[in-house]
Amino acid sequence: MQQVNERPAPQPFALGRWLRRFGTLLGFLGVVAFFWWQKPTTFMTISNWLNITQQVSILGVVAFMMTIVMVMGDFDLSVGTMASLAGIVAALLFQREFPLWQAVLVALLVGMAGGLLNGLLVSFVGISPFVATLGMLTVFGGVALSISSGKTIFGRAIPEAVGGFAQGGLSLSGIGLPAVSIPNLTLLALGVLVVVWLLLEQTVFGRRLYAIGGNREAARLAGVRVRILRLIAFMCTGLGAAIAGLMLVSRLSSANPTQGDGLMLNAIAAVFLGMTMSEEGEPHVLGTLVGVLILGVLNNGLTQMRIDSYIQQILTGGIIILAVTLSSLSRRSS
Amino acid sequence: MSLAELLTVAGASKSYNGVPALIDASLHLLSGEVHALMGENGAGKSTLIKLLAGVVTPDRMQVWVRGRAVSLSSARAAFDLGLRFIHQELNVIPQLSVAENIFLSQSYPRLAGVFVDWRKLNADARSVLHMLGVTHLDPRTLAARLSTGDQMLLKIASAFLGAERTNAAIYVMDEPTAALSSGETEMLFAVINSLRKQGCAILYVSHRIDELFKIADRVTVMRDGRTVATMPLAETSPEKLITLMTGRDLQQVYPTRENATPASPLLEVRNLSTHAAKAITFTLHAGEIIGIAGLSGSGRTELLRALMGADRIRAGEIRLSGKRLSRYSTRGAWRYGFAFVPEERRTQGLVVSRTVADNVTLPHLGAISRGGILLDSLRAQSLSETLGASVRLRARGPDQIVRQLSGGNQQKIVFARALAGSPAVLLLDEPTRGVDMGAKVDLYRLIRQASARGVGVIIASSDLPELIGLCDRIMILQNGRLVDTVQAAGLTEAGLLTLCYGAEMHSAAG
Repeated sequence: MQQVNERPAPQPFALGRWLRRFGTLLGFLGVVAFFWWQKPTTFMTISNWLNITQQVSILGVVAFMMTIVMVMGDFDLSVGTMASLAGIVAALLFQREFPLWQAVLVALLVGMAGGLLNGLLVSFVGISPFVATLGMLTVFGGVALSISSGKTIFGRAIPEAVGGFAQGGLSLSGIGLPAVSIPNLTLLALGVLVVVWLLLEQTVFGRRLYAIGGNREAARLAGVRVRILRLIAFMCTGLGAAIAGLMLVSRLSSANPTQGDGLMLNAIAAVFLGMTMSEEGEPHVLGTLVGVLILGVLNNGLTQMRIDSYIQQILTGGIIILAVTLSSLSRRSS
Repeated sequence: MSLAELLTVAGASKSYNGVPALIDASLHLLSGEVHALMGENGAGKSTLIKLLAGVVTPDRMQVWVRGRAVSLSSARAAFDLGLRFIHQELNVIPQLSVAENIFLSQSYPRLAGVFVDWRKLNADARSVLHMLGVTHLDPRTLAARLSTGDQMLLKIASAFLGAERTNAAIYVMDEPTAALSSGETEMLFAVINSLRKQGCAILYVSHRIDELFKIADRVTVMRDGRTVATMPLAETSPEKLITLMTGRDLQQVYPTRENATPASPLLEVRNLSTHAAKAITFTLHAGEIIGIAGLSGSGRTELLRALMGADRIRAGEIRLSGKRLSRYSTRGAWRYGFAFVPEERRTQGLVVSRTVADNVTLPHLGAISRGGILLDSLRAQSLSETLGASVRLRARGPDQIVRQLSGGNQQKIVFARALAGSPAVLLLDEPTRGVDMGAKVDLYRLIRQASARGVGVIIASSDLPELIGLCDRIMILQNGRLVDTVQAAGLTEAGLLTLCYGAEMHSAAG
């Protein structure tokens, strides 16, 4: 690499490349600008943004952890029902008056065990992630329904500390903003974001996951323990789903056996949106963050504009398809 | 043999983003000739071929077919003018039969306008194969069962079939022998000769100079986007061609060998058996280079994979420096000090979507991290830069994405990775496949340097001159068995080939 005479000419500035890289981010800023223009008094306020971060925090946790398996080229369809299951497990233990920490711990262990099962099926039995996690999606959903007999657990069964956690936050009075506080759920999601970022970008583990995602056979021949790493990655995703399930219980102060089911599609959509921002089309957790924020801002802004929620659904889906289409078109043309 | 000019290209130019890839190139293909196209990677061969195929639009180019000015504006236009392209990547559909694959781009013969007339389909396929002198392929065999070489013949038959109807005459073959064994190459050459006799022109791209002297009539050499010379092969020599291609004199392709001093046994393999290797026993000494020769399917690759922990070992024992190794994984192999350059760099060697540094450090991440957990980017970068320099890698830096590099440079990254951990044993599978001459010479020098440091090297290769030029001893494999081991010194290519075939007859008799 010291052969300076062989150095290729610096690449000329190419609009296509630049747009591919930052198109999704620009789209995000465009959406923000649009809502700011439409709702000048209510949208661009600190409290509304804190509200948005709280709204997306649960989706964020699932999507950040989902990024870990998607980096390896796999994905996990079972996170939604796993979130429901973990929430129900915790709520049932609350109901039976187990200490708070024990209930939370058991719920998290259930998430990891579910992830372990997914990982075993994918990595050791050799079933495709689509089929394995689709099957587990149904199994987790069924378990959640059967252990709760399909009933919602609410009211006094849920300890006040659980509901109180989501209500609380870190007050900003210290920096002269006494009226607002950063919600605890937002802080938790930020914590998960930082941990996943460290894991994927700053550890040997993350480097190996990216290698597996790029070329599994080459990674194996280079001495990477592909099976074990896939197993661990699925356990991470299961754990993420369980954390999200607990956050949901806290936010709603209740648990029903299907309340997390909708998380899966949005989480995968967020990772895909983030993938449009990387040069090689790989998932990246900061990209996933932008994806999560796009979904959250759309939801928040459209609701403020009193757009019907069914129409919101159509718009959101359309925007996801548009972003991915533009990105793959620009990649093809280069 | 008529010497009519079939295809003439003049003034072909093409640049990408202002970087010229092809400058005023010209080409003259005569009827009934095999015309070699040579040049290092990046010299413009593939750009020229893409222009001919009509898949890339030239900045400027004039083309005549049989003296008539034409335009190669699309793949369809090229096809209709009778050009056929046979690439190294074989797009054979494994689930279909030989006959179905041959007729893939045509319509199948029908019964009652609806049903496939299988009898006629198979008969037509057989007659096409016979016209090419291929008699050993049954049209009803599934393509998945064919060897790589036979799949290549199948693709040629398919291209030839179109020829009957559209008067095809010009075949462009891009590295057709890259994945073929010596025997299969001979078969391919027979087919090429029968095409030549029928007045076709074949544009033949290969990095194997010795092969060109066997099959080609004339050669066009490219360098830095220009066609620098066209001449009959009879009037030139490998040395002259290398000088033309590289623009520099290469004293010798294979570095001279210092007299090897007798060394201690490094790797002892006893009765090693896997699904493909059968009871193989040999000893590799420190600093020794052993070659593995054999027809394709003889178990060359499988022997290396077994040593690397990639295939399951069923029986036998492996000792490294006297220490017996129990069953190990690929990770274990790297830790013991084996380093591997796999057969296919794109599918087995590299993660092309990642950077140079990521690829070089992949097997060594644990060793160069902080506490085996946190990445040490600075160390990874400096290691990649040092090794990149030692293998003469041409890249913008450790952060360049591997996909953007040429084949020769990609192979150098696989080498750099193998050398990074100061290995005890280097296992090289087809180390210079698809690599240009300049890069080859660099790789040969690296192999010799490693051996001089006491590293034991095992090279599996279908490039016989390479084995003879580089190795101390050559083991000959047949059907997974080690049938002979010979000294490389004084061996000729013909002699080695005879040994490979002789082994085949021997084992057929036994």
